[in-house]
Amino acid sequence: MVFDHALGVMASSCSRALRHHACKSSRILRIHLQNSWPNRSFALNSAADQQPAVSSLEEIVIPKKKTWSKEAVLQALASTVNRDPTASDYRFQDDPYLAPKTALEFKLFSLSQEAGRNAAKYFINKYPNYFQKDYAHPHIPCLMPETLEAQIEEASEAALAERVQLRKVKAAVDLYDQLLQAGTTVSLDVTNELLELICFYGDCDPAQENVPEQRTEETEDVQEEAQAKKARGAKPSDALRTPWKENNNAERIFALLSEPNTRSYSALIRGMVKYGASSRAFSTYTDLLNSRLTADVHIFTALIAAAPDVQEKYNEKWDLIVDLLKQMAEQKVKPDLLTFNAVLKALRRCGSVGKSQAFPVMREMKALNIDPCLASYGHVLSIFYKAGAPVQGQKDILQEVMYEVSGKSFTPQDPDDAQFFITAMRICLDTKDIEQAYRVHELLGVGDNWRLVGDYVKQNIYYARFFSLLCLMESVDVMMKWYRDLVPSVYYPSSNVMTDLLRALDTDNRLELIPQIWKDIKTLGHGNRQKLVEDLLALMARETHTPQDSLADCALDIRSLYSTGDRGKALMSWTAGSLSDVISVLLAAHRRAHAWETLKLFKTHNRVPSVHLLNRFLTCVKDSGDVDEAVELVKMSAGFCLPDTHTLIQRIQQEFELSPQHRSILSDLEIQSFSSD
Amino acid sequence: MYKRLLNIHQVRNGLIHTRLPSTKCKEKERFAPVIWAMGRARPLGTSSIFFSENKESSTSLSEDNAKRPEENEANAEVNNDGQKNTKINEGNNISNAMLTSQLETEPVVKPEDSKKLDKTKTGKESLLELLGAMKVDVTTIRKVRPPKIPRISERPDPKPMESVQSMFQHATAEVSQQRETLNPTLVAAASAAASTLPNSRQAESELLQQLRKHEAIPDTQRRADGQNIGDIIADMKVGKKQNARSNARPGSQIRFDDDGQGYTRDRGITGELDAVRTRKSPFTSKRLNIFNAGAEQDSLSVLGPTLWDINLANQIVQATNQTPRNGFEEMIQWTKEGKLWQYPINNEAGLEDEASVPFHEHVFLDKHLDGSFPRQGPVRHFMELVITGLAKNHHLTVQQKQEHIAWFRDYFQQKDNVLKEAEA
Repeated sequence: MVFDHALGVMASSCSRALRHHACKSSRILRIHLQNSWPNRSFALNSAADQQPAVSSLEEIVIPKKKTWSKEAVLQALASTVNRDPTASDYRFQDDPYLAPKTALEFKLFSLSQEAGRNAAKYFINKYPNYFQKDYAHPHIPCLMPETLEAQIEEASEAALAERVQLRKVKAAVDLYDQLLQAGTTVSLDVTNELLELICFYGDCDPAQENVPEQRTEETEDVQEEAQAKKARGAKPSDALRTPWKENNNAERIFALLSEPNTRSYSALIRGMVKYGASSRAFSTYTDLLNSRLTADVHIFTALIAAAPDVQEKYNEKWDLIVDLLKQMAEQKVKPDLLTFNAVLKALRRCGSVGKSQAFPVMREMKALNIDPCLASYGHVLSIFYKAGAPVQGQKDILQEVMYEVSGKSFTPQDPDDAQFFITAMRICLDTKDIEQAYRVHELLGVGDNWRLVGDYVKQNIYYARFFSLLCLMESVDVMMKWYRDLVPSVYYPSSNVMTDLLRALDTDNRLELIPQIWKDIKTLGHGNRQKLVEDLLALMARETHTPQDSLADCALDIRSLYSTGDRGKALMSWTAGSLSDVISVLLAAHRRAHAWETLKLFKTHNRVPSVHLLNRFLTCVKDSGDVDEAVELVKMSAGFCLPDTHTLIQRIQQEFELSPQHRSILSDLEIQSFSSD
Repeated sequence: MYKRLLNIHQVRNGLIHTRLPSTKCKEKERFAPVIWAMGRARPLGTSSIFFSENKESSTSLSEDNAKRPEENEANAEVNNDGQKNTKINEGNNISNAMLTSQLETEPVVKPEDSKKLDKTKTGKESLLELLGAMKVDVTTIRKVRPPKIPRISERPDPKPMESVQSMFQHATAEVSQQRETLNPTLVAAASAAASTLPNSRQAESELLQQLRKHEAIPDTQRRADGQNIGDIIADMKVGKKQNARSNARPGSQIRFDDDGQGYTRDRGITGELDAVRTRKSPFTSKRLNIFNAGAEQDSLSVLGPTLWDINLANQIVQATNQTPRNGFEEMIQWTKEGKLWQYPINNEAGLEDEASVPFHEHVFLDKHLDGSFPRQGPVRHFMELVITGLAKNHHLTVQQKQEHIAWFRDYFQQKDNVLKEAEA
């Protein structure tokens, strides 16, 4: 009873009203509840709703069993993880000590991780007998040593197939010759595989896996980026390879074939194209036609890629490509994505013809229901925007391309896919088109597109371009927002980009951010880049509004960096400009003692201060009224034999109260300076 | 002055109509904005060349220069000779139609100008007034280009544009006569254009159909509008003000020279903007027409991945960024490599061979004892214990259990003589 009362007191008047209504029909109650208590009506509602629910029995549809792929759960989980702009790359999260802070460290750490894996793999494969114990259940094949040595000794077709499988070019060729000499016939399939192997490796044993290949690719990128690329023709990596030799093993074995089929021709032609024997490839193609065979799509793709090498003029190149495409249609060979990418890539070397034909080619792809990949779009962009060429009247092409691709998620389908983002960003930077740059960057965030930005080097190039553009076009606040987002979790800016950043701060008059930026510069390992540091000092010396203390601390920090070198060897050397910049910053912050120390550095580093600086210094000294220091200053000036020493002396004589001793020193100095004049 | 303006208007109108249907067939959803954009261009005195040029630049850059002088000439003539303007306009129209047909696969031509003159004369006074007002717009010096380029995806807001649309409708409605049949010159042009296409008969009939269809539109629009052009121009100005993008407009404008040479063109950046906005996307332009979309390749025997395929996959992997971004992605990678227990968790993972083996093969092993072991005695007793143990062992496969039993079988057979001596 007591409880009841208490509840009654606690309950609001509203609930009392409810109780009153409860004796009426439940329908009215429902309406009332919905009006007055919409949030809490569900308990009563459900009771009221039961009647209609029972009357119309819903048919229960049992969903079919769905088989999930083994990665589905993990993919769903992975999609919930967002990038943390404050954390370093996932690879380095195991060990905070090894979190890279500079671009160099990033490269070193990630490569060393990969190198460790390769070393382990090498030892397992080299000494397989020590790694036979199979602990895993179920069995994990990739942890077991691979067999790299041929197991079958006697000369047989199976042994040949095994050597082909193990990619031992020389051994396979020798074995094939043995088999022929012994009179055994080798089946066409195995011979074709052998031909493919020889052509693929250009009749040389493959170099060691992984490592050297990666290295050549990297140098290629760097060279491309430096735009020191040779004007046309072979890539640098092609030049390193041995060129196709006439009558090499591939051609010899091919000639021995009584009835070569399309696959044999395909292997030969692709090998010739890969190793730069373009005209031979075309003559082989003629042979193929003469022997009344039809080519396959790979042959055409290879020939199209080689077409620009064979012809001189733009028109002729394009005519040859069109001719090849027509032959494809005649032979009822269906082109694939790579064929059209080869066409577009060839069009890059066709000058103005490329510009007129690029879109028809794209259109043809669409008509054949071939979705262009990023490489196709990248080629189109490269056709219209040549690196280093002036961009005029083509702004819209990028716009059109972005309009086509935006919001789509691409899967890697072509090795050139990774070129798209850096090309697009280069164009944005060239045309100063921040709007499109944002769209490009937005595209990068869609789906798995982040994979397509390419390896570490390309990623760095991409972000460098993006960020330079931001520095040029955006306000400091927006730019800093991006800066905080990108640096250093995905991007380690180079010193040039940091200079751009400083310039942007300068134009927007936001120099109060400098101490912060200086900290980042030090962390990024650019604290010893003399040009960058001098730019920074000049900016600080010009700044007069912001709190000077932080700038002065910053300047002192920089000064200490100059003195401490790496292993006793100073990396930066003082210039007169940087010294006077430091001094003016210190003077502005009224740190005369530090400034005086710095002034002495002029003498030790054989630099000459400007008169303007000494005048400024003198003004500061005058504020404190330190006569001794003023006289010292003049002495120093006289020591440097500055022509304007006498004006300094005059100033001191006028503005300070001098003791007789000081007067005599000054007059001595005055005589000295006049005599030196 | 008045006549010249008028002529230019007519030329322009003709061109607008020349372009309209083609755009329509290409991209239906873009139809409306395109009209409006051009309607808006009109009060600002955008020249006919400007449009034709846009068209060209959008489709073929190389033909751009070839076309321009011809256009200039035609327009100059129009300006100098009021008597001939009808004819020249027609010719101009047709030449444009031809051009369009060469550049596109579905060209459509719209006749307009032939009878326009009579109609416009009726509104002469009001038009004169208007021209006075318009002059301000015409001579406006190009404004500074706004730094940001409007995206293609931006569509002009239809509502403020309504007035402009009505203006445009009126412009087309200036022709008073009903035309039931098509101009024979146009028919000829259409058939000429169609002959360049692969399927000429069908193309031609399509073209003519389009022409007639477009013919009908102005008739209905005509009724809707009032006679006073002043209202229209006033509307037009309102529309212009409300449009945020109109600042970017006066890129190319007519400049009247005293010597009566007509106008000079001014190709500015805004012109390029217009090119972007009004033309169709280059991705929907003509195709090479080499392959048949339906053609099926006789599928070659697929022998599995060749060396080249593997290498291509390798190259792609190396070119792209395959490093995991978080723990889950690393787990995905491990799953693909087979290092990780697969999700959804399955106790029998890795025991796929055993899945087809029924349980009794595992449990009832007596049948393996029959025949090769004695029916009774200590050996039999021992072996019964062995199979009991094996029946309960879940680590071994049936194969391994059988091998186990077989080992004992061999063992006891070897020790046969020893057993006999012991009389077991």
